[in-house]
Amino acid sequence: MTAATGMPLVAAAGPIGGLSYNTLVVLAGVATVGFAAGVAGTLALLRRRPLVGDAAAHATLLGVGAAFLLTGRRDLPTLLAGALVAAVAALVVLVFLRRIVRTRDDAATAIVIGVSFGAGLALLAGITARGLPGGAGLEQFLLGHTAALTAQDALLLAAASCATVTLVAVAFKELVLVAFDAPFAAAIGRPVGLIDTALVALVAVMVVVGLPAAGAVLVTALVVIPPVAARQWTTRAGRMLLLAGLFGLAAAVAGVLASTLRPGLATGPLVVLAAAAICFVSFAVAPERGWIWRRSRLRGGEASP
Amino acid sequence: MTATAPILELHDVTVAYGRRPVLWNVDLAITEPCLFGVIGPNGAGKSTLLKAALGLVPVVGGYVRFFGAPLARVRGRVGYVPQRETVDWDFPVSVMDVVLMGTYGRLGWLRRPGARERELARHCLDRVGLVGLADRQIGRLSGGQQQRVFLARALAQQADVYLLDEPLAGVDVRSQEQIFEVLAAVRDEGKLVVVVHHDLRTAAEWFDRVALIDMRLVATGPTAEVLTPDNLRRTYSGRVELLEELGRAVAERGRTP
Repeated sequence: MTAATGMPLVAAAGPIGGLSYNTLVVLAGVATVGFAAGVAGTLALLRRRPLVGDAAAHATLLGVGAAFLLTGRRDLPTLLAGALVAAVAALVVLVFLRRIVRTRDDAATAIVIGVSFGAGLALLAGITARGLPGGAGLEQFLLGHTAALTAQDALLLAAASCATVTLVAVAFKELVLVAFDAPFAAAIGRPVGLIDTALVALVAVMVVVGLPAAGAVLVTALVVIPPVAARQWTTRAGRMLLLAGLFGLAAAVAGVLASTLRPGLATGPLVVLAAAAICFVSFAVAPERGWIWRRSRLRGGEASP
Repeated sequence: MTATAPILELHDVTVAYGRRPVLWNVDLAITEPCLFGVIGPNGAGKSTLLKAALGLVPVVGGYVRFFGAPLARVRGRVGYVPQRETVDWDFPVSVMDVVLMGTYGRLGWLRRPGARERELARHCLDRVGLVGLADRQIGRLSGGQQQRVFLARALAQQADVYLLDEPLAGVDVRSQEQIFEVLAAVRDEGKLVVVVHHDLRTAAEWFDRVALIDMRLVATGPTAEVLTPDNLRRTYSGRVELLEELGRAVAERGRTP
């Protein structure tokens, strides 16, 4: 399949380190995605809504399948546009369940994840079973498969990621204000609902953009794990943002590189494993909050403040 | 009319959560700068009263005016201290970061706090006795210190009216004393300070005027005239566990002029 897209995984005559030009561009694009996912995820985590992205992510499969069926095309922009529509629709349903049907938060999220993901899987299975031309390979969006990306695809992903990072950087002060103390923000006249909607929209965009790298099932991890790891190292929101971005970038690059070792290897699990490794190390050795630090303090008998 | 408009006026305000009303027909007008206590039992709607004044909960009947105008037109003149439990104190911000949030109203969306804002924030921290802790993460403070950080943030709003929701809950005696002294100083600058409060003894000691609330306005006026045994019984009726505190408070008030 990768051969069919005309992209050699490891080019013998690649310019740097045996990697082809295309692979390098893809790597750079996915690195940007990793950075932006960590940045957007930091704000979602601080607003205590880490799972919002999960509902959106699981719905994307349905959007990918629907976009293919409706347009008959399978280029990345078309499929991701479908994914974005589905992600936003899932979030609208989530809000509807919470506000109007008054379902508990976690129950509403579980319902949206289950139903939209099940429908997406069924749709893709149907497409595969009918053997529609070009339909094969859509299941790559389940677990991520960067090997199939073209340089042009990677540029699109990088552009969307840069837009996300820019928006977060510009609105950082307001986003942190609302995340920390929404009632106070409302009292000084900030439109809290609007800012929350913007944040959720940013997360939805990042989940869609992260789809080729991590897949519908695992892309949430790329949004949630780097910020959690970053929080271990710092007590300042600005530094946490930067660190989460760098952790996301490192995880994405590591995962993509690892996936080039063997043809047909899905990228998503590797990216997430890399992120988990960073997180584990952070839990263990970070000063103040890490296990080792806390244990040694207990043993030293030093009083905590 | 505007010349004599009350600083804060609630006219026939009714608030409901869903279909359950929590405040009925509250009429309250505060015309003079003072230290004003909003007193009542748990669940009486004291916090709701502040939130309604600030437009944080929808008012289903009546209206609220600050200086004769709706809040949206005078937001910069109104400072707010929410309840301490509403925020996550493990949040990665420093004491200085939080106090600077008090300047955001003036700064608007895009401008970031600069040297002038930092100077103001430092001055406000100094007033609450925390200037030495400016760089500390907010989770590493005592409850009383956290409450004073919130107070400093409100001071940084440079408002003319301050609304404080339980600023003395879970606070040690020293912090309590300190907070009341700052609030009295703010009042002496000619500002109105409205405090939701639950402790009757300190209420009698510090507030110039009070309102007794139990889903309705029971009584309002100068503290000594309002905190009568009769009014207190009407406010706390049916709450046996409070009778003892009530008795103590009234006895205490009898001794101090």
